[in-house]
Amino acid sequence: MRWVWFHKLGSPKWFFFWSKAWALPAFVFGLVCLVMGLIWGLAFAPPDYQQGDSVRIIYMHVPAAMLAQSAYLTLGISGAIFLVWQMKIAPMVIASLAPIGAVMAFIALVTGAIWGKATWGTWWVWDARLTSVLVLFFLYMGVIALQHSLDDMALANKATAIISVVGLINLPIIKYSVVWWNTLHQGATFTLTEKPAMPIEMWLPLLFTVIGLYSMVGGVLMWRMQTEILLREHRTNWVKEEVMNRGL
Amino acid sequence: MTYFSFFTAECRVVWRRKQDIVNVLLFFTLVVALFPLGINPSVDFLAPAAGGIVWCAALLAILMTIESVFKDDFHDGSLEQWVVSGLFLPILMLLKIGVQWLAVILPLLLIMPLISQMVALPDESFWVLILSLLVGTPSVFLMGAIGAALTVSLKQGAMLVMLVILPFYLPVIIFATSAVQASQSGLPYHGFLALLLAMSLLSLVVSPFMTAIAVKASVN
Repeated sequence: MRWVWFHKLGSPKWFFFWSKAWALPAFVFGLVCLVMGLIWGLAFAPPDYQQGDSVRIIYMHVPAAMLAQSAYLTLGISGAIFLVWQMKIAPMVIASLAPIGAVMAFIALVTGAIWGKATWGTWWVWDARLTSVLVLFFLYMGVIALQHSLDDMALANKATAIISVVGLINLPIIKYSVVWWNTLHQGATFTLTEKPAMPIEMWLPLLFTVIGLYSMVGGVLMWRMQTEILLREHRTNWVKEEVMNRGL
Repeated sequence: MTYFSFFTAECRVVWRRKQDIVNVLLFFTLVVALFPLGINPSVDFLAPAAGGIVWCAALLAILMTIESVFKDDFHDGSLEQWVVSGLFLPILMLLKIGVQWLAVILPLLLIMPLISQMVALPDESFWVLILSLLVGTPSVFLMGAIGAALTVSLKQGAMLVMLVILPFYLPVIIFATSAVQASQSGLPYHGFLALLLAMSLLSLVVSPFMTAIAVKASVN
């Protein structure tokens, strides 16, 4: 297998043209999967034997929560890559992905609160999983705030990279919070390695929504990064040519 | 410049600006006073909450001091001198934060008997609180220094440091107050203190390097 395409991803120019071809398909594929999974899950999947129909919010809650964590992991890895190899594309990933991650964490918190009201009878408890996801949301907001208040681009890149790397410490806390602390939140509902504990009719739509949301966010991320690349590389000749030939 | 001359210079700077330390202590005491006045002055409320009150006030006071720790050095050019001095920057950072830690924490511990009376802390928990402050605050200083170094070039960086760094303090405050509460109900508290120590050691490894990177980025 040739890895050249992978190395090329580090070049803003190459990434720009590569993502131009892939962003729309990824987004549309994700949207179709998500809508299919949601319709299937909300209308046709069987209700839970304990929680009844309120379990259906899982089809929004779990994908959003998974993405919130994956996005932060990506942020942290990009931060480390930038600190070590100074790759230009890494801070662009951080700048474009942080708001998406914040939105996902927010969706996870809101849907979790609604689900909690239906099943636990309360909007919020100071449970380890809930609190650590709230912290995740604050970390995203910190990264975004830092990005926007530092005018010096080089400093902003370094600063967000550092905070992203340091914030990685929160991820294992979220992941194992339901294992380490015996709290209200239930254990993981969704793993790829083990046989699902729920019936396949409930598990499949969930799989669809998860894949769909990942793919959709991938598409949105590519679009956001294209904007970011145009902004940051506006002095280069290829950007000038691109804008002259095709417009914005 | 040697490591030793850097250290003595830092000590001298702290000593000549004693008023800053006094201000921190006053701020700390005022925040502590907000809780009995604002919520409930009865012992029933204060005794279980004492550890949390002291730790909240301490976190805020420390964050206020640490936010400006590199400000003067940035403006008078000392930061650049450190970067080009040929000395290993992370060690300089460690020394700097260490001096700050001593300068703030020692007076804080000295007024702690008074404070613990103010918040009706039970006697058996007093030493646990002191211990939790001793093993927990290094990580508070070290993490705060990263934020301070990142925002040193900004005029109004205090709010940003709070926003960026406070999330990292939540585990510290959870374990510190758990230790104090466990000692009040007669449960073992060594595990919580060990976790606090672990966090301090982890930030001891990570923070000087991150702070050094941030300082270098801010200077250029």
